[in-house]
Amino acid sequence: MLSFLDLLGTIGASILGLPGILGVALGMMTRNLIVAAVLGGGVGVVSPLLLGGSHSTHVPITPLEYGVALVVGVLAGLIGCTIRRRGATV
Amino acid sequence: MSEPTEKRRLIRRIWDAIWTPTAVLSTGFLLIAGFLAGILFWGGFHWTLEMTNTEEFCTSCHTMETNLGEYRETVHYNNHSGVRAICSDCHVPHEWQYKMKAKIMAVKDVYHEVLGTISTPEKYEERRLEMAAAVWKKMKASDSRECRNCHAFEYMDFTIQETRAADNHQKAIDTGMTCIDCHQGIAHDLPPGYLEEYNHVVETLAEATREIDDDVAAIRSYLGSGTE
Repeated sequence: MLSFLDLLGTIGASILGLPGILGVALGMMTRNLIVAAVLGGGVGVVSPLLLGGSHSTHVPITPLEYGVALVVGVLAGLIGCTIRRRGATV
Repeated sequence: MSEPTEKRRLIRRIWDAIWTPTAVLSTGFLLIAGFLAGILFWGGFHWTLEMTNTEEFCTSCHTMETNLGEYRETVHYNNHSGVRAICSDCHVPHEWQYKMKAKIMAVKDVYHEVLGTISTPEKYEERRLEMAAAVWKKMKASDSRECRNCHAFEYMDFTIQETRAADNHQKAIDTGMTCIDCHQGIAHDLPPGYLEEYNHVVETLAEATREIDDDVAAIRSYLGSGTE
């Protein structure tokens, strides 16, 4: 139960964090789904490196955090791209 | 029969209106309005989040009365310096992604409040060790991150600490120990058998770390043999 909650919390935190928000924003900059996925995935990879861990401890970022951030980033990029395709004429 | 169809039409009209390019608003207007709406939304979201960090909010549930009473007897509540650490200082991380994770995971507290899992002193005592172990696991895994928001070995003056404390802190630095390794009952009462349970938590985490290391080593070895 706790590990499921842990996963759910990690996903939610990624959606409300840089991978989710910047991923959608970058995805909205292109009509190309592959470019959007790459941009979102890039944010997903970079954000745990920039914002993961803690200022006071030196705990390594877990593979789960990396994985979730990457998947959320890619999906956010694709959602952003879909918004662009649906909502813009250019 | 006609009502659902009309409702669907209304939803369809709203959906179409959202995605139809605007002909009456300039780009500047939309940008400024969106920017202001974003500030309002984000400010409101953050303000609400901070409200859930207050002691009043944390202890507004009936099930939190026991731990509140225990905490009020500790140095984190009353002390000579007048600095107080409230619930969120120890249980909610400062870093955004971990803070959000903690808030999402805290939904289970509402669930158990509704179910009445620890609604009586007997039920509370029955689950005390399990609840404590869950918090110890989080603290051990994060190198006592929340403790270190206020406490740091680098800022400690061992010469004005008690000899026993100074010796143990030096030992902790030398052997890579973390705060929760010694300070398990710092804010709440300890259940019987807590030391065995804490050792079990440490062993479980060490085992999980070993497994990850083994997996990484296996991947590296596979990649290494593939490139050779």
